[in-house]
Amino acid sequence: MSIIVQTEQLTKTFQKQYAVDHIDMTIREGEIYGFLGPNGAGKTTTIRMLLGLMKPSSGRIKVLGKRLNTHKLEILRQVGSLVENPSYYPHLTAYENLNVIRQIVGVPPVRVTEVLELVRLTEAAHRKVKGFSLGMKQRLGIAAALLHQPKLLILDEPTNGLDPSGIIEIRELIKSLPQKYGMTVLISSHLLSEIDQIATSVGVVSHGKLIYQDSITNMRKLANSSIHIQCNDPEQAAVALHRLELAVELGANKLVLHQCSDRAVADAVKLLVHQGMDIYRVEEHKQSLERIFLDMTGGVSL
Amino acid sequence: MMLSKLLGSEWMKIKRKGLWFLTLLGPLGVIGLTMVNYGVRKDYLLAQSEDDWAYYLDNVAALTPMALVLGIVILTSLLASIEAQTNAWKMWLALPVRRGSVYLSKYLIAAVLLLVSSCILAVGTAVYGMTLGLGDDIPWLSILEYSFYPWVASQALIALHLWCALTSSNQGFTVSLGIVGVIAVIIPVYLPDWVIWKWPSLVSELDNPWSSGVIGVGAGLLLFMAGMLHFSRKDVG
Repeated sequence: MSIIVQTEQLTKTFQKQYAVDHIDMTIREGEIYGFLGPNGAGKTTTIRMLLGLMKPSSGRIKVLGKRLNTHKLEILRQVGSLVENPSYYPHLTAYENLNVIRQIVGVPPVRVTEVLELVRLTEAAHRKVKGFSLGMKQRLGIAAALLHQPKLLILDEPTNGLDPSGIIEIRELIKSLPQKYGMTVLISSHLLSEIDQIATSVGVVSHGKLIYQDSITNMRKLANSSIHIQCNDPEQAAVALHRLELAVELGANKLVLHQCSDRAVADAVKLLVHQGMDIYRVEEHKQSLERIFLDMTGGVSL
Repeated sequence: MMLSKLLGSEWMKIKRKGLWFLTLLGPLGVIGLTMVNYGVRKDYLLAQSEDDWAYYLDNVAALTPMALVLGIVILTSLLASIEAQTNAWKMWLALPVRRGSVYLSKYLIAAVLLLVSSCILAVGTAVYGMTLGLGDDIPWLSILEYSFYPWVASQALIALHLWCALTSSNQGFTVSLGIVGVIAVIIPVYLPDWVIWKWPSLVSELDNPWSSGVIGVGAGLLLFMAGMLHFSRKDVG
């Protein structure tokens, strides 16, 4: 799989403050890359640099195999974007809004009708965007980004302000893009659940630094589970379980077993029962992804 | 090629924004005020000079710079507001367009609209002048000069106000600059020649309308280049 976006030590400072701090981001073809981080972590600044809207303070950006600062127009011809809150011309209709962009990207007029259909705005096509709900404006923004069938689609918080059914609709649409049109998608969000449901790869950014980058399956493996056993004499039980060579930890009135298989749990329980101990509870505690990222980002909730 | 696409889009974008209305209002306002002036005291005004046409043209020309500067200030700020309103710059400039071309397209829209105003002014001046019966010897050349020289001399002002409107995030500054301009243009004779808002009035120590035109275009070119460079390098926030 070829690499679509590659940044090397990408950095942006505002008045000596690091907004983006030496980020090495890699997005491969066909991925839906979830760019996750709390508000103000540097997601939007990174995206603006990828689109050439802001100049990096240092570092390099390659998009579709070409350097951004030398091949900007060539790259932008194959990139569609929706940055932060939707931009639109409120005094124009949805159709006119798209037509204005269509002129620039040079696609036939029928594309306007097609993308309006895709985001289900056909009925509102000839109404002024001024009167649209936030969700409709957001969908219009996505339509605009899809107009020229870009190879890379960059969506910054695309489900902001959408109602639940709208979120599901947009999610399904975004998910279908890689297979249907061979697009690669970069989607940012401050909501872990959002990224968890849509992305195939994840980059976590906090205080301008990329603190985690891997596939979503590897990320899910981070969610360790442990078995908590409560019984009448935990200390003696711990001694007994050491014979089974399990990683046992003695907690407050309970035993904690880490990373154990079903077999190991069954053996442990059987042993304790044979020793004549009273077992009150056997519980599985799963560390949530939420918790893991909370630790990663130093307590700032996602 | 890219510029023609951009211009096509810009013409569509100014729909329903009142720019065409202002383009008509400016010259019609100037002719309208002249009509009031001559309607109320025509006999007095005709008694002031031997050359009634020249005197009439001076009266029109006294109003033109004011209308022009007002027009420039409002048109440039409306053109900038099309994107500023919903921060559409981040969308527009993420399209495959050169920022310099985007800047030029905005400049051309403002300049062409004001040129249309000047044409309307020329026609209006001639037609109303003829109805006043100022003599059969219609000074066509002077009418054209009085209508188009101020536009030529205003290129620097278009460039200055456009620069300010498109790059300043502080609308207060843009408005203040506009107010300074409108006040300055009322009192051109009291201002030194280097004051940019003096040029549309064609008043200068050299006493030759061409000098205002040449300096307007020359300074306009410099201001345009400076504004364009600034706009091209600016981070879009």
